[in-house]
Amino acid sequence: MDWQWAADHVDEIAELTKSHLYLALMPVLWGLLIAVPLGVLCVRLSWLYPPVFGVVNVLYALPALALFVLLLDFTGFSNATIIIPLTIYTLVVLVPNVVDGLRGVPEPVRQAATAMGFGQLRRLVQVELPIAIPVIMAGLRIATVSSISLVSVGVLIGQDFGGLGDLFIDGFQKNFMTPLIIGVVLIVLLALAADALLVVAQRFLTPWSRTRVVRGRTRARVARRWRPA
Amino acid sequence: MITFEHVTKRYPDGTVALDDLSLECPTGKTTVLVGTSGSGKTTAVRLINRMVEPTTGRILIDGTDVRSRPPEQLRRGIGYVIQQVGLFPHRTIADNIATVPYLLGWDKKKARAQAHELMERVGLDPAISGRYPYQLSGGQQQRVGVARALAADPPILLMDEPFSAVDPVVRSELQQEFLRLQADLDKTIVFVTHDVDEAIKLGDRVAVFRIGGHLVQVDTPERLLAAPADEFVERFLGYDRGFRRLSFLDAKSLPLSTVDMLELTASAEQARAAVGEGAPVLVVDDRRRPVGWLIRSRVARWPDRSTLVAVGHTFRVDTDSVRAALDSAVLSPVGVAVAVDGERAVVGAISHDEIAEAIRPPTAEIGPA
Repeated sequence: MDWQWAADHVDEIAELTKSHLYLALMPVLWGLLIAVPLGVLCVRLSWLYPPVFGVVNVLYALPALALFVLLLDFTGFSNATIIIPLTIYTLVVLVPNVVDGLRGVPEPVRQAATAMGFGQLRRLVQVELPIAIPVIMAGLRIATVSSISLVSVGVLIGQDFGGLGDLFIDGFQKNFMTPLIIGVVLIVLLALAADALLVVAQRFLTPWSRTRVVRGRTRARVARRWRPA
Repeated sequence: MITFEHVTKRYPDGTVALDDLSLECPTGKTTVLVGTSGSGKTTAVRLINRMVEPTTGRILIDGTDVRSRPPEQLRRGIGYVIQQVGLFPHRTIADNIATVPYLLGWDKKKARAQAHELMERVGLDPAISGRYPYQLSGGQQQRVGVARALAADPPILLMDEPFSAVDPVVRSELQQEFLRLQADLDKTIVFVTHDVDEAIKLGDRVAVFRIGGHLVQVDTPERLLAAPADEFVERFLGYDRGFRRLSFLDAKSLPLSTVDMLELTASAEQARAAVGEGAPVLVVDDRRRPVGWLIRSRVARWPDRSTLVAVGHTFRVDTDSVRAALDSAVLSPVGVAVAVDGERAVVGAISHDEIAEAIRPPTAEIGPA
């Protein structure tokens, strides 16, 4: 570990960290923007969910490299070439979690809302989506962490496109461990920090949830706990 | 008044949930729909707020077809309480209660104030208004459910088995509270239950439904117990129908006999003289409140109070029913029910046999052979 090298390259590392975060978080944001309406649609039209679920799973199985090559023809050497595949990957957790979160809204709650005079849209926005938050957040955490670690493959397209992954190439080519270690440590730290931030955000958003933090895909169980004893 | 006019609900798969229902639920009264599961009673209440639409027939509220208004608008004027309560887990108790006021666009402050007032009304401590539903017991949640239904002061309240999911002690509390509230509010209530006792206790009118969505009989609880329309209703009401019916007869109507009484301060001779003929004597204190029965075999130990036979529970002549009087006679060790007034002072007594005689139907009712 060459600390001098690290000290000399602080600015460059900071720059790479920034671009890493941007390339990792944009896909999560886009993923959420796609997954919420798509999930709502899948709940409303239940026949739609199996094919959608199948498609997002198949897309997740596509190798990143293949997608990059495919996209290069359309988006060229731009951030979009990274962001689009990563966005597609987030859907594999986000869509099922939105669907399960909404399906986990207890039927009596839905009926009470209808009986009190909520229209469909208002019920969705004011009742169903808020109640689905813990489950959606669980998916969001997985998507964020995996996106942060996945960005580094972007270096396959070229430098400037892999965030901190750039350091891996650097270290690899020069057979020099320091940038590699710094890259790995920073990526892990970023993932942990982002996850912690989401946990805090969830506590803030759902003071009403008994379990508060939901790990992984334990969504249906959480929903059941809200029923009155 | 809510009126069902020849309403039939048939589902696409051919199931008939309600079969040609015609029923009137009078304004300011509680109409209880009672029946086994699958008898269409829940469907009937949901037709009122358009959660279910009829296949044929009409539902009118004060003469206006419910379908003449958009469902959302109609529903904001009809309170709805269900068994599973369905509170919003993500909203505080106060915000849950203020749901309909918010939908109606009330000012937030006014809605909150209304929520607090309602909490007191249904027996909840307003201090818990900032809590979330999961922090409440089942009984408290159901009270919140009732408060939420009443929040915008709707003239109509629909209650679908609201007290079925709580334990018997809490249920009986909620029923008492319901009666107290309704005495104040005079809402037009349609109440669904499968529990005959609840129906008789809470209903001004009781409608009995049978599987297949048939309405079999509508009557006051008293008349229902006295004259079930058919064998189904009779069986549904249960084998203690005759006994339960006594709840509706006032104890006032019973012919009381005088009872031999002895003051606590009486001497041994007076005590012996009093039980001389062998019948138990009622010992009373200086304000004529019953203390116990003195029986012949124990008269030698007078004035030892511990030898007295307990009176058990007495009945109040002015407010209790014949059922309470009979119960008191059945439980009395000497077979005599003691009647008291508001001050617990003895006004008379009546035995099993005398009560039995008093409630025996006149022979004329049996009719000619």
